[in-house]
Amino acid sequence: MNPRALAAWSLSGITIALATGNPVYRVLVLLAALNVLVALRRPDVSLRGLGIALLLAGLIATAITTLASHTGDHAFLVVPQAIPVLGGPLTLEAAFFGASTGLGIAAAVLAAAPLSLVLMPNSLVDALPGALARTGAAIGTALNLIPGIARSASEIRDAQRMRGWRSRRVREWPDLAVPVVLTALESSITLAEAMEARGYGSGPRTHYGEIVWRRADIAVCVVAPAAAVAFVVLRLAGVIADWYPFPDLSVPPIDVFGVMCCLALAIPALVWRR
Amino acid sequence: MISGSVASLERFTYRYPAGTNDALDIAELRIDDGLTLVTGTSGSGKSSLLRVFNGLVPHFHGGTVGGSAEVCGQDVINTATRVLAAKVGFVFQDPELQSVYPTVERDVAFGLENIAMQPQAMKQRVSEALERTGIAHLRERAVATLSGGERQRLALAGVLAMHPRMLVLDEPLSQLDEDGARSVVSILAVLAGAGTAVVVAEHRLDQLGSLGARMLAVEDARVVEGTAKRARRGDDAQALRVGPHAIATNVAAWELRNVATGPDRTPILEGINLSARAGEVVALIGPNGGGKTTLLRTIAGLLLPYSGAVDRASGRVAFLPQNPMALLHRATVAAEVAWTVRGDRPSADTAMLIDELGLTNLAARDPRDLSTGERQRAAIAAVLAGAPRIALLDEPTRGMDDDARDALCRAIRRLRADGSSIVIATHDKNLVAALADRTIAVGAGSARELAPVAVA
Repeated sequence: MNPRALAAWSLSGITIALATGNPVYRVLVLLAALNVLVALRRPDVSLRGLGIALLLAGLIATAITTLASHTGDHAFLVVPQAIPVLGGPLTLEAAFFGASTGLGIAAAVLAAAPLSLVLMPNSLVDALPGALARTGAAIGTALNLIPGIARSASEIRDAQRMRGWRSRRVREWPDLAVPVVLTALESSITLAEAMEARGYGSGPRTHYGEIVWRRADIAVCVVAPAAAVAFVVLRLAGVIADWYPFPDLSVPPIDVFGVMCCLALAIPALVWRR
Repeated sequence: MISGSVASLERFTYRYPAGTNDALDIAELRIDDGLTLVTGTSGSGKSSLLRVFNGLVPHFHGGTVGGSAEVCGQDVINTATRVLAAKVGFVFQDPELQSVYPTVERDVAFGLENIAMQPQAMKQRVSEALERTGIAHLRERAVATLSGGERQRLALAGVLAMHPRMLVLDEPLSQLDEDGARSVVSILAVLAGAGTAVVVAEHRLDQLGSLGARMLAVEDARVVEGTAKRARRGDDAQALRVGPHAIATNVAAWELRNVATGPDRTPILEGINLSARAGEVVALIGPNGGGKTTLLRTIAGLLLPYSGAVDRASGRVAFLPQNPMALLHRATVAAEVAWTVRGDRPSADTAMLIDELGLTNLAARDPRDLSTGERQRAAIAAVLAGAPRIALLDEPTRGMDDDARDALCRAIRRLRADGSSIVIATHDKNLVAALADRTIAVGAGSARELAPVAVA
């Protein structure tokens, strides 16, 4: 799959997720993104961590809105006014609004996730325009250092534990942090040395992975942005209605054009194969 | 300038930016086609010399340079490393820190991308380099999943893809098992035979020494023909050897009972039943990735077994990780050693250990300013301070010259005599011959005790 086409698809998904407060469309974007992730993710990638993080983000967004916003007609609990910020009625409207916000966050994050979970990190860097190629390679290399630094942090923690270091003593934290930072710096310098020794920076670069546009890539690159543009235009024109639960909770309106725009985001899972 | 050589240095001097002495002071040196081995003690200047050939010294490291140096017809002092890279390939000591891309195929292509090779030609070069180094089957693998030996061959493939006129390798065998080392040595022999100038700095001469290579020694910043004063071939290990000794006690130091263990939620060793007594040295040998480190970490308690039981006698357990930088963080070597025993100042014991490991002259130095072999000794001093009940050492002779290995043997024998139980995971057969009371082969999911070696 073409990384530029996938980037265009991600941007389209994020646009729709953030252009509406209607939870129905947000759910549809979320499902389309999830479909792409499940169908196309790299074999070494697990979605468990991302799923847990998004669930937590959604719960936190719901909880904060429910506890802090006391607007709405349907109160299900009253917190004593003596408690600052939290005091007042807790309403169903606020809870649903919070849940919709959480859905928006999850949908946007899931739409961006394929850039790192479907593509190899260097694919996206390769897809950068020529003027940004060197910067991109440097960023890609820096990202490649992160797993190594995480491994060395764990190794350092183990080595220091065996010498009596205890994480509970705050004054001993520098005995872990200092070698982690120093090792990361040394690793960066060694890598820079290795890159220099392999000719990095000697002139214009080419890319091993050619960026090829196949029909499926063009389809994704046309359909997804077109759907996003159509959604935004129809939303601004009032054809696709938004949803706002205050003051009285209502069922989110559903428009066929809106649904079609969201469903169009499922195109990568239809035309691309891993 | 001497003509006709691949590389030539004349009245060449080099001093690091913060150095008080010249790191290199070479009257004349020429490197021709074929294999050249560079020996020398830790910190003698081997790595600095190698870095001259591709211009990392002086361009990357800075400092003061004098005289002249020419490599592949180019003036090193006035040509950037990244330009020399098209003709001089360099493989660093730690292959883990030279991968730029996350997958094997892409990483091999990195150098070719830098010289703007067209994608089709690049693919051909990548395939050829992968074939030559015997890792074509790993083409699509993530670099992070490779063993040490595979990584070393990947680093070599990345360099060979560039078709270098000169190939420079800094201790390429230091992390490899016997098979891995043999494979790299055979690749180097073929390259040298085909007319590439191959320069290798290495302490492990047992395999390379038989190739009829030209020998150079770096001693006190100077380069002389022949081996370094203490560079010793593998078959001289007898000189170190005292063999297994009678165990004075019958006190169990640690025991694994029917243990299954492994990192990342995958058991790589199962049904392990092992134990050791106080005052005993046990050597773990086996291929890269076979589970030696996993076993050490399980004995140490750093890795919980999936099943079975691990018992340890009470008392401090010392653990030396493969990477000595994982524990060096104090301002001086002496402070590093003292930190383990939490003394405000180095005690008599720590001073003795520092002396025993030949670190007295380095005690006031920052451990991170030392050479690889010196860092390793500093790390060993740091973990062995305070007479641990159990000492677990993972590849302790990595990057060490023979003097340092002798010093390590002395320190371990003293610990053994004091009743410590010592476990060493190593590829260094000389160390095994010198110290091990028992030898355990780890690999293919199990650990089995080898028959005792007769003492000569």
